[in-house]
Amino acid sequence: MRIHSSTSRRSRPLRLPLAIGLTAVLVTACGTEQEGATAGGGGGGGGGASGEECANAEEAQASYEQAWTETAQQLGLENLEPTEEQVCEVDTAPWAAEPKNGETYRIAFAAQGPTNSWGLTNEEAFRQRAEEVGVEVLYASANGDATAQVDNIQQLASQDPDALVVVPMGDGITGQVQAAAGQGIPVVLCAGRLSDSSSVVSTVTRQYELLGSAYAEWLVQQLGGEGQVAVLSGLAGVPTAEYQKAAALEVFAEHPGIEVVTEQYTEWSPTVAKQVAANLVTQYPDLDGIWSDSGYGDLGVVQAYQEAGRPVPPVTGDAINAFLKAVQGTDVRFALSSFPPEQSMQCLDTAMAALAGEPVLDKVYINSPSFTHEQIDEYVRPECTDNLFVPSALPDEQLRELGLC
Amino acid sequence: MTTGAPPTEAAGPARAGASAGRDVVRRALSLLAPLAGLAVLLLVAAVTTPGFYSAGVLQLVLFQIGLIGVTAVGQTLVLLVGGIDLSIGAVIGLTTVVIAEHSRGDGERLGVAILLATAAGAGVGLLNGLLVVRRQVPAFVATFATFVLVQGVITAWTRGAPSGNIPGELSPLGIGRWLGIPVPLWAFLVVAVVAGVVLGRTGLGRRLYATGANERATALSGVRTRWIIAGCFVASGLLAVLAGLINAGYIGYVDARLSRSLDPNSVAAAVIGGIALTGGRGRIGQTVVGVTLLAVLLAWLRQLGAGAGAQLVVSGAVILLAVWLQGSGWAARSPRRIKQRDGVR
Repeated sequence: MRIHSSTSRRSRPLRLPLAIGLTAVLVTACGTEQEGATAGGGGGGGGGASGEECANAEEAQASYEQAWTETAQQLGLENLEPTEEQVCEVDTAPWAAEPKNGETYRIAFAAQGPTNSWGLTNEEAFRQRAEEVGVEVLYASANGDATAQVDNIQQLASQDPDALVVVPMGDGITGQVQAAAGQGIPVVLCAGRLSDSSSVVSTVTRQYELLGSAYAEWLVQQLGGEGQVAVLSGLAGVPTAEYQKAAALEVFAEHPGIEVVTEQYTEWSPTVAKQVAANLVTQYPDLDGIWSDSGYGDLGVVQAYQEAGRPVPPVTGDAINAFLKAVQGTDVRFALSSFPPEQSMQCLDTAMAALAGEPVLDKVYINSPSFTHEQIDEYVRPECTDNLFVPSALPDEQLRELGLC
Repeated sequence: MTTGAPPTEAAGPARAGASAGRDVVRRALSLLAPLAGLAVLLLVAAVTTPGFYSAGVLQLVLFQIGLIGVTAVGQTLVLLVGGIDLSIGAVIGLTTVVIAEHSRGDGERLGVAILLATAAGAGVGLLNGLLVVRRQVPAFVATFATFVLVQGVITAWTRGAPSGNIPGELSPLGIGRWLGIPVPLWAFLVVAVVAGVVLGRTGLGRRLYATGANERATALSGVRTRWIIAGCFVASGLLAVLAGLINAGYIGYVDARLSRSLDPNSVAAAVIGGIALTGGRGRIGQTVVGVTLLAVLLAWLRQLGAGAGAQLVVSGAVILLAVWLQGSGWAARSPRRIKQRDGVR
């Protein structure tokens, strides 16, 4: 975290520079806050196929659309159209290699770090898969900060690993990713993306646009195409929040009967979300639905409406156990999906495939369950803590060890 | 003396009447700017956001005043002795984590959990105080370091995923009402009255103001200024624990965001009210006005649909404006400032 300092030529009014410094620290601190996996990027895009003809386009495209089709089925959506995206196959023959050191591969993992339960589960899942396939992990934690991750990637690359898997914390790391690739290390971006990913072998992530669009389509369907909607997004400027929101607004714009009355940020905090929602109750008494990207935010929304003695409008968000526990047995209607932390397992699989010279896709958009209030009993885990992302791919024993169950 | 004028400024008996008169004028002036700001804000809010004066919004504003106010009183004490406390947000977060981890949602364990959280908050305050008075670390740096340290402790302890729940028994503190007024506001009023009485009516208060105005001279006159400064940091830590309990009661979950927030509101509220960043000047009454102004401002911004970025920008801008006004405007015209400028002590 950087501290900006200011100096003044005038010696008497020391208070103004002090206040400027204070303000800068406050804004900087809040601006660097990261939540979940965040990464910049306009359209993702793996570099393996850039500038060349798209290999095996049909099959690759079909695998991309599969995630959309399954989500539409799970949420009962009639009109969920995949956003335009070209997915191609990458020839990984140039990356195929025997272990550089001894008999086992050494895979470097530039992780977000355990700043929240998502980060914790993300790296534990990676470690577990590494154990299963018998590879050594070189680990570095960014503590949710892109600047720290720049150093991490440099350090990991200097150990000359067989492959590098990066959970990108922001576009600021692009230079280091390119440098690592230039060193001959195959790089896989994991649970996020970069604007310029031309140097990486593959980007493995749950697609932000799919989540944002699916939530919006579900709300439109719930409201019969007509009504007032509030959009509650996470953190301003953070890709995880902004891409989902942009996709949702596109869907709402296609339905003239839907009026987006306000767009606000919850900072993925139930406290902030509750204050925002308490305002919604007074300001928009006729609100018909709330599009939200976060189950944690939804906790605050539900409390605000319940304390005001008002029915909770249909909400959307990601599947966090706290929300499910809070609404079980109530008549709150919701649609949830997830940006599963366990996607790191597929990231490692993709890196291993590249090392084996097997073809991989330049963009692996992973699939994960989506569900509504009707299936709550299948997903809620009353015996587990609030912080668990459900459903979890980790075994119960490991969840208990991590203090999540 | 309730305005923070140091004892070295004591007037002779013949001038006592005139001094008292000036004192009243000074008090009025010090409250005038924030009150005028509040009046303008209320007017602008009425024009730009119809429905701002509804019962629902009023309740939100009152709650917000309580939430910000408790920490603003602690911040005021620290500012009065020439310090600043940036670790308040971390202590708020730590409190919620301690409550959840220790009580595991069990109301019977809540008492011990609160004691542990109180000890933790006092410990952080004491660490801040010791760094400042024993090692002469600037408060800005010392409290920022403890802010980062506490964040690290929380992350290492919980690995980012605190287990346990907040007991329901705590919720009345966050969402309860008494006589139709949110409990957090009552908590703030009690804290503010106690702080106001201590500052304005006791010898301790006089020594505190003197320490903030001129620590060296006050120490030479036999006052244990180091104890007073460290005590203010401990008080701020304890009030942050109270704010943490209110927060935990309000939402009922461990909110990971709390410990990562530098909590700019406590500084903003105190400075807007007219508490000097240089120490020694300001009263709790001013903090109360500052807190009210900030709470109305935040509620208005939220009604306008402004995001977190806009709210931070406005908080920062308001701190700058208030400090600029203190440095060059209304405060400079107060009798004491004129005396200081002319070298009259």
